[in-house]
Order: sequence, then C-alpha cells, then structure tokens
Amino acid sequence: MSEETKVKYEKPIPLKTLDNTPYWDAADRHELALQKCNTCNAYNHPPGPSCASCGSVDVIWENQGSVIQGKVYSYVVSYRPFLPGFQNDIPLVIAVVELDHLPEVKIIGNILNGNAENVTIGSAVNMVWEDVTEDRAVPQWVLA
Amino acid sequence: MSTIRNKYAIVGVGESKRSKNSGVTPLHLALDAARAAIADAGMDAKDIDAFMSYSEHDSCTPHQVATYLGVRPGVVKEIIGGGSSTELLIADAVGLIETGQAKTVLIYRAMNGRSGMRMGGGGWSTDLLQSAFDGGSFIIPYGAGSPGQWFGLFATRHMHLNGLTQEHLGHVCTSFYEHAQRNPNAFFYGKPLTMEEYMKTAHLSSPFTKHDFCLESDEANAIIVTSAERAKDCKSTPVHIMGMAARQSVSHAHYWKNVDEVASDYVAPELYKAAGITPEDIDVASIYDCFSWVVLRQLEAYGLAPKGEVGDFVAAGNLRLNGKLPTNTAGGMLSEGYTHGMNNVLEIVRQVRHEYAGTNRQVENCEIGICTGWAGPDIAGAMVLSK
Repeated sequence: MSEETKVKYEKPIPLKTLDNTPYWDAADRHELALQKCNTCNAYNHPPGPSCASCGSVDVIWENQGSVIQGKVYSYVVSYRPFLPGFQNDIPLVIAVVELDHLPEVKIIGNILNGNAENVTIGSAVNMVWEDVTEDRAVPQWVLA
Repeated sequence: MSTIRNKYAIVGVGESKRSKNSGVTPLHLALDAARAAIADAGMDAKDIDAFMSYSEHDSCTPHQVATYLGVRPGVVKEIIGGGSSTELLIADAVGLIETGQAKTVLIYRAMNGRSGMRMGGGGWSTDLLQSAFDGGSFIIPYGAGSPGQWFGLFATRHMHLNGLTQEHLGHVCTSFYEHAQRNPNAFFYGKPLTMEEYMKTAHLSSPFTKHDFCLESDEANAIIVTSAERAKDCKSTPVHIMGMAARQSVSHAHYWKNVDEVASDYVAPELYKAAGITPEDIDVASIYDCFSWVVLRQLEAYGLAPKGEVGDFVAAGNLRLNGKLPTNTAGGMLSEGYTHGMNNVLEIVRQVRHEYAGTNRQVENCEIGICTGWAGPDIAGAMVLSK
C-alpha cells in the first residue's frame, strides 16, 4: 500500500469484536471466512455469539478461500454521504450479494466499479479486498 | 387477544408544538403533550397511575414527566424502541390494567428530532454506530449508515419483483402531501407536491428522493389508555381497541438477508383474528410511513390491497380522502411531522372519533381504523380501533 492511500483512507474501519474477529482476520489475509453452525448446518452472516437460525452455541469458522463470486440480490445507489469519509465515493453503490456457492449467505459491500447504469439485480460480481491500512483489508465487490 | 376486544380505550390524545427548533428540552415537549392529552380526556394528572415511553436515548424519562406533573404513579417504564413501540406500549398498558397493576396509562414520545439527535444520522461516531447495531461492522464501513439506505436495500428488490415503479412511490407521497394541505399544523402545509415535480426530484439514495424520506421534527405526542368502563367518565369520545398483535420475524435488525417476508406479514392474520374483522371492514388507516415504500409493503402485508396490485391500488387514488382507504390523513410522517409513529396514532384516534366532522378533513362514515407500526422489516405491531 502506498503512503498516499494510508493518509487518504477516512472511512470507518471494521471493528473487530468478540464475535466477528475471525471474519476480519481472514479479510486481512484476503480470504473469506464464514461462521457455520454444527447443529443445523446454517451459515451465519453476520456472525454472532450463537447460531441465529437455531440458537446453538456449537458454531465454527470455515474458510471459503479467495475466489468468491456472487450475484447482486439487491442494492441502492446513494448520492450523498450519510457517514463521514464517503464524500469522495458519491454516487456510492451498496449491494447485498448472494454468494454463488452458498446462496443463503448474503454479504453487503460496495460495488467499486458500479453505478446506477451498470448495476442491476442479478449482476455478477467478484469479491476483492481493499487494503485500507498497513494491516487491515476490507472485502468489496467488482462487476465480473 | 380476542378476550380484550373493546374492553380498553384511548381516551386522550395531545401534542406539543411542532417545529424544526423547539428551543426547549424534550421534557418540556413531553409535559406539553401530556397536559394536552390529560385535558382532552377531561382528567386530572393524578388520575394517571402509569407513565410509559420509548426512545432512542433522545428523550426524557417517564419518571421526570410524572415528577413534573406532580404525580407519584405506580408504574414508570421506558423502552428503547423503534416505530412499532406505540402499539407495543399500548398493548403493555392493556396488560397492566387487565392485571390490576394500573388503571390509567399515559404513553408519550418526546424528541428534538430535528434540532437535537436526528434519526436520519449525522454527528455520530462511526465506531459507536458499529457497536450500537447488531452486525454494525458489516454495514457502517460500507457507508450504509442511514435508515434510507437500509430500507432502500429492501425496497429495490421488492419493487423489482412486484413491478412497483418510482411513480407508485410518488402516489404515496402526493396523496399524503395532499392531506397535509388541509392540516395547518403539518410541516408541509402550504407546500403541495405534484407528480410532475416528484418525478423530477433526484434520488438521495435510490429508490428514494427527499419526498420518500420522512421528515424530522421537534415534537412530543401523548396518548391515554384506560378501561372501557372508566372511559365512560371521560370528556372525550372513547376510541376502543378491537384487537392488537405484534411480532419479531426477520433476524438482524440492520442486516436483512431476505426480502420475501416482513414482520407485518405475520402480524396481519393475528390482528384480524383478535379484532374479529377482515381487511374489507377497515374505513381509514394510519400506516407507518418512515419511507414511502414502507407504506406499499404494509398495504400488501395487511391485505389492504391485493398482493401484486398495490401499485395499481395507490395509483387509483385510494389513499386520498375520497379513496377506498384514506390513509395518513394528517399528512403522515412524510409531510405532517415525525414522532417515531405516534402522530399517526393521534390522527387515527381523531378520525375514528369523528373529531373533524363538519370540516374538509373528516373521512365520512368511518367506523373502523387500522394503525400499524413498523420498527423495520423485523418488528411490527398493529391495532384496530373503533368508536
């Protein structure tokens, strides 16, 4: 990462918490990790202290690797920054993406090369990782 | 809940002044609203033995309101809650009275929603927001910090699947703005909205323009609930609670993975069963309207318009005063004011009372009204009222 990028990144950096640290640690390695329930086999995203589908505490983390493809399930295009740090990202595409290999999992992110004209429900996207600090990376989407 | 049918009533409603900058604390607003509701019921403050409220850390406590009305009640209760909280607290009030813990309950919502803490965001620490919302770390870093964006993610897909268009959202807005033109206390009184103007308005965040967002105001509202028996002694025309229902459904309040269902879908059958009516019996409606699309989704959920025909229903003018279902007849949160849903409750009570009789605001011959609350796709509460 360049010095310039380091200085310029003003957006919120994902907070690592008791329940989500494995997800963001994997993201820092440019990988996707998902929480999975050993009792009902549901994938939980966002992750939590127990399974949001059945309540079981028997949850594990499963690495999904670095090749993650999906389809736009829904999206919005925002024309004003509703949070500090996004003033240079307008219009901002925020999408809910259904993973091709696990459709029950929906991951929200920005479509970095998306706009109101080229994004629609069903658009194919690939996960990429944006290096935002020396040691942190944020999963994002680009149109396939 | 059918066992409580018509046993409880709303006997007083009142509001403070509505403004963009009240210049006073939410406590002052709450006291003004409480006094107005007590006067409306023809009661004395000491007749209230339970005070309840909901907030998002932007209000004053029921303890304070009771204190400064000179009352030392049995129950003071405050919940953190969203747009279904009025209905949920009215259900709590019924429970308290039914079990003999209280006789008369005052419920209020007080907020400097424009000059103080704004629901629409602004001024908050992003780290705080990540912690405050369940799953916040998965939305805030992506710039999704406003309810307009969260609801928009739901709306885009639902509209796509059901053939709903920008113009259909516009019919909700123009209908409610039209109501506001008859309400001198509405924020957008004197500011009518034509479809042509609506369609020319740019998105703030798709699919919503500024007209599709509710407004923000400084205001307090209050409601008094008591038994039907005690209601006979009140000055006002009691409005009886025919039935109520509530439900949590979708997981993760701020991270929705499924737009196929909302909590309102589950509330509707329970509500009609409790009230002993069908959607066709409803004459007038207050539908929670934090965003225009939320109204369309609830019309579908509550069976007030056939699924797949909601767009046609609003385009035919059915939300207007002479339509099949006059809705949010004071202008709603889109154009009257925003007290997190409670102003819509005040309006349905006034319509069912026929308080506007002889003016151009009364829905003619209305007997039964529905009032819905929506804290999101995840939590809903609703009630059916009649004279």
